[in-house]
Amino acid sequence: MNCETARLMMENNDPGLDDHLLSCPSCIMRTHAQYYEAPPGLAEKIRGQLRKENPTPRPIPWRWMAIAASVLLVASLTWNLSMLRSRVDPQQALAGDVVSAHIRSLTGTHLLDVPSSDHHTVKPWFNGKIDFSPAMKDVEGFPLLGGRLEYLEGHPAAALIYGRRNHMINLFTWPSAATAATSETRNGYHIESWSSDGMAFWAVSDLNEGELRDFITLYRRN
Amino acid sequence: MLETMDSGRKQALFEQIVMPHLNAAYNLARWLTRNVDDAEDVVQEAYLRAFRSFETFQGEDGRAWLLAVVRNTCFTWLKKKGEESAVEFDEQVHGSAGDAPNAETVLLNQAALGSLHGCLEGLPFEFREVMILRELEELSYKEISDIARVPIGTVMSRLARGRKRLQLCLAGALK
Repeated sequence: MNCETARLMMENNDPGLDDHLLSCPSCIMRTHAQYYEAPPGLAEKIRGQLRKENPTPRPIPWRWMAIAASVLLVASLTWNLSMLRSRVDPQQALAGDVVSAHIRSLTGTHLLDVPSSDHHTVKPWFNGKIDFSPAMKDVEGFPLLGGRLEYLEGHPAAALIYGRRNHMINLFTWPSAATAATSETRNGYHIESWSSDGMAFWAVSDLNEGELRDFITLYRRN
Repeated sequence: MLETMDSGRKQALFEQIVMPHLNAAYNLARWLTRNVDDAEDVVQEAYLRAFRSFETFQGEDGRAWLLAVVRNTCFTWLKKKGEESAVEFDEQVHGSAGDAPNAETVLLNQAALGSLHGCLEGLPFEFREVMILRELEELSYKEISDIARVPIGTVMSRLARGRKRLQLCLAGALK
């Protein structure tokens, strides 16, 4: 007999079944041994455990990466641009300083430290105040009005003030290895610069450009 | 084949190949540990082990592969508990077929069926495992030999002796 026979006997309530089962442990197991089913919830417990074991890698947030990247790009561009703007030509910066010093001298009460048309008075006044001796020159048609101490390009500078009708000319001078020649107009002020004998010269005035050039020509000739 | 799969794919494959055999895993663990709580713990641990070594799954039968893991987990579990000695059952000491009851004279009744459970649980581990795998899971001798890590011949002899012992036990319970 085999187990198929046993199944048939069982279905038919055959009284010979018990005998068969006892003679066949295999059959008795297959027909009567308990098959344990997993308790409900065990599958979910296991799945939870596996998820912990194997955490799904977070998807890379490309969207946010893109936003962050563009923010960085804009910030970097802005910074570079501002750096570019702020990197002003030192000569240009100095021209600005010269104009500022000129305007300051006219608006304040501090045009002249030593009011004198005599360069023999003005020149000695600078002694002991600066470590160079500015070239004092009489310039025809541009009377010397006096001198003043200035501070330009990180140096003490001598300011010589010449007049022309109601206009003032500030001539700044200080020792400088090289000063590029400049000729420009800012805020209505003309600026001229040159270099001579290791000295920088900056002339600034509200005089018209032609007359300022004349002044410089005469000054340099003398 | 599974070596390079990403974690999402691994999870999906595991769900498809291994998870459907939870009842078989639990049934085997329940019979081998003879304890409800142990069975659940063993099955959980076995699934974790199976998942970790899922890369070694070669595409054979998922149920047999899982049951091998469950069987080994049970084996180490019980050894840790010091409950079972995995000592080979000695046929000479434990009796022979000559003691088989005369089936014609014994009537199987409810009491006998009730004692079936006790008799099965009373079998040593190595008999119980082949009997459960053969009679309840209906695995082939080859599959059982892989799971129990013994030659096919040993599987067959253990089955034969296990059945005899079950028969003896039932007969004894009916006396």
